[in-house]
Amino acid sequence: MTYLTWRQHRQQALVALALLAAFAVLMLITGLQAAAQWHAALAGCSAARACGSLRDIFLGSHAVGFLVVLTLIVPALLGMLLGAPLVAHELETRTTQFAWTQGATRARWLAVRVGWLLLGTAAFAGAVSALVTWWSGPANAQQASGFNPGRFDIMGIAPVGYTVFAVALGITAGTVIRRVVPAIGITVACFIAVRAAVFIGLRQHYQAAVTHVYGLTQSFAPPGAAWQLAAGVVAPGGGRLSVSDGPAIAVNVSSVTVPASCRGLEDAATLSCMQAAGFRQFITYQPAGRYWAFQAIEAGIFVALAAALIAVAFVVLRRRDA
Amino acid sequence: MSEPHRVKVVAAPPALAIETSGLTKRYRRVTALSECSMVVPEGRICALIGPNGAGKTTLLRMLAGLAAPTAGTASVLGGTPRQDPAFLADIGFLAQEMPLYRRMSAADHIKIGAHLNSRWDGESARARLLGLDIPLGRAVGTLSGGQRAQVALALTLAKKPRVLLLDEPVAALDPLARRHFLGTLTSAVAETDGALTVVLSSHLIADIERVCDYLILLTRSQVQLAGDIEDLLAEHKVLIGPKKDTGALAATHTVVHTTTTARQSTLLVRVGGPLIDPAYEAADISLEELVLGYMGASAAPAYAGLTTVAEG
Repeated sequence: MTYLTWRQHRQQALVALALLAAFAVLMLITGLQAAAQWHAALAGCSAARACGSLRDIFLGSHAVGFLVVLTLIVPALLGMLLGAPLVAHELETRTTQFAWTQGATRARWLAVRVGWLLLGTAAFAGAVSALVTWWSGPANAQQASGFNPGRFDIMGIAPVGYTVFAVALGITAGTVIRRVVPAIGITVACFIAVRAAVFIGLRQHYQAAVTHVYGLTQSFAPPGAAWQLAAGVVAPGGGRLSVSDGPAIAVNVSSVTVPASCRGLEDAATLSCMQAAGFRQFITYQPAGRYWAFQAIEAGIFVALAAALIAVAFVVLRRRDA
Repeated sequence: MSEPHRVKVVAAPPALAIETSGLTKRYRRVTALSECSMVVPEGRICALIGPNGAGKTTLLRMLAGLAAPTAGTASVLGGTPRQDPAFLADIGFLAQEMPLYRRMSAADHIKIGAHLNSRWDGESARARLLGLDIPLGRAVGTLSGGQRAQVALALTLAKKPRVLLLDEPVAALDPLARRHFLGTLTSAVAETDGALTVVLSSHLIADIERVCDYLILLTRSQVQLAGDIEDLLAEHKVLIGPKKDTGALAATHTVVHTTTTARQSTLLVRVGGPLIDPAYEAADISLEELVLGYMGASAAPAYAGLTTVAEG
C-alpha cells in the first residue's frame, strides 16, 4: 500500500520538494542579508549610543517579506490540492473499485494513504515554518512582533497544526462529498471559518491575560515580544476604555469623560489632573514567555480537530458503498 | 440432458460458489435490486443476463463486497462479502468501466498488485499481456479500449481469485476485441481446472453462448430462469401450430411465451413430458430465443409489431 501511495504521489512529492528547495535558497540568502544588516545597525547605534530609532530601519526586501506573509496560505493550499482529491478523485474516476477489490481492505487503503499524506504535508509545512521562523529572527528582534496575530500564524509549530487540520479536512470532505471540486470548496470555507473562530474566540484565552494598571503620566511596555490585547484608560469608578494608542489620545477623544476640573488645560496638564482625579491607564497582554505554550495549544487544538475528522472519514468509508 | 449427468448431480450436489437469499438494495428512492435469490454452483461460467436496470451491476457489486445490501443475505464461497483480506483475496472483480490508474502503465499496475495482494501471479499477467502484444510500459490511459480491458482482466486474474465477477466486460468493445477478451477469459478458466467460478453479466447472447455454461436470467430483480445452459436448451422447445386453445398443452408443459399471428401460434414451452399433439411442429430452441422468450419480448424482426402474450 505504501508503494501505491508513493507511486500515486511521487510527482507531487517531487514538485513540493523542488518548491521547498527554492524557498529555502531564497530564505537563506535574504535571511543572511537581513541578519548582517541588523547586526551592522546594532553595532553602529551601540557605538553611537543612539539605538532609539533602530525600530524604523527597514530589513530585507518587500517582495520577500510579502512571500513570507504568503506562507499563511500554505496549509489551505495543501488541504485543497492534496487532501481533498485523496479519496474523492479515486471515487470520481472509480479506481476505488480496483483498489478496494485487491487483497487489502479499504480501512488499510485509507490508513496508509492518510498516514503518509499527513506526514509528508506536516513535514513540508514544518520546513516552511522553520525557514520563516529563522528568517524572521532579525525582524522579531527588531519589532518584537513574533506573538502578534499574523506573525504567530506563520512561525513555530502552529503552521504544522493548521496543515494537518487542513489536509484532514480535505480528505474527509472528499470522502463524504465524493467529488473533488465541491470538496475543495468546502475545505477552504471550513478551514477559514475554523481558523477565524479559533483566533477570534479562543487564542487570547488559552491562559488568563495579564493586565497592568499604571499612572497616566508613567510609561510601561510589556517586556519582550508580548501580545498586546488591549490598552487604554481606567476611570476612577473602574470603567475601562480601550484606546490602543495610549492615554494622550484618550483625553482628546470626546467619549472619555474628562472631569470638568481638568478641561481647558494643556495635554500634559490634563493627564496630571486626571491622574490626580483617579484616572489610570492599563495594558492587557499575553507575556512573551507564553509564546511556546500558546504555539503548542494552538497546534494541539488543530491536530485534535484533524484526528476527529479522520475518524469520520474512516467511518464513512467503511460504511458507504464504493 | 443425458441421464448419467442427472444421476451424478443427485448423488453429489455441487458446492455453491454463490448463494443469495432475498438480496435487496435500495437507494434513497430507487430500488436497484429487490428480493433476489439465486445460486451459482462452483466451477461454472455463469452468464447473468437481464435488461438494463434489472440490477445486474448492483448484484455483482454486493457479491464483491463493494456495496452493502439493504436486506437479505449473500454468501460467496461460504462467507458474507465483507471488507476482510481473506475474503478479498478470493474475489476478482472487474467493473464495467474497467477503472485503472490512467497515468500508470500495465507494469506499474502489476507491481501495485504485488504489493496489495498476498497471492499474486504477476508473471502470468505479464506473459499474458506480452502474448497479446500489449505494451507494458505505456500509460494505460493511452491504450485502446480492448487493450485496457485485457490489462484489467489480466490484473484480475493475477489475483488468482476463486470467484471472478465481471460486469459487462465486453459491452464497450468492438467485435474483435470482444473475441480476444473472451478468449483470454476461457483459456484462463481452463487453466484453473474447475477451481474458478465466473459470473459474467452481459446482454450479448452470442458471446455468452461461446463462453458460458450456466445462465441466470434476471428481470426486474427476479430470477426468471436459472440453470445449466445445455439442460435449459434441452428442456425448452419452440412449437409452431394453429392458433388454438393451449389449455391441453399447458396441462403437461409450461407455456412460457406465445406469439400469435392471424393463423398460427408460436409457443415457447418448457417440456414436461412427451410432445404428442400432432398439430404442433416442435423445433429446438436457440439460446437467444430462450432468453428473449423469458424476457417477454421478441427481437427477431419477423416478429416485430405482432402481439405477444407472455404467460411465464
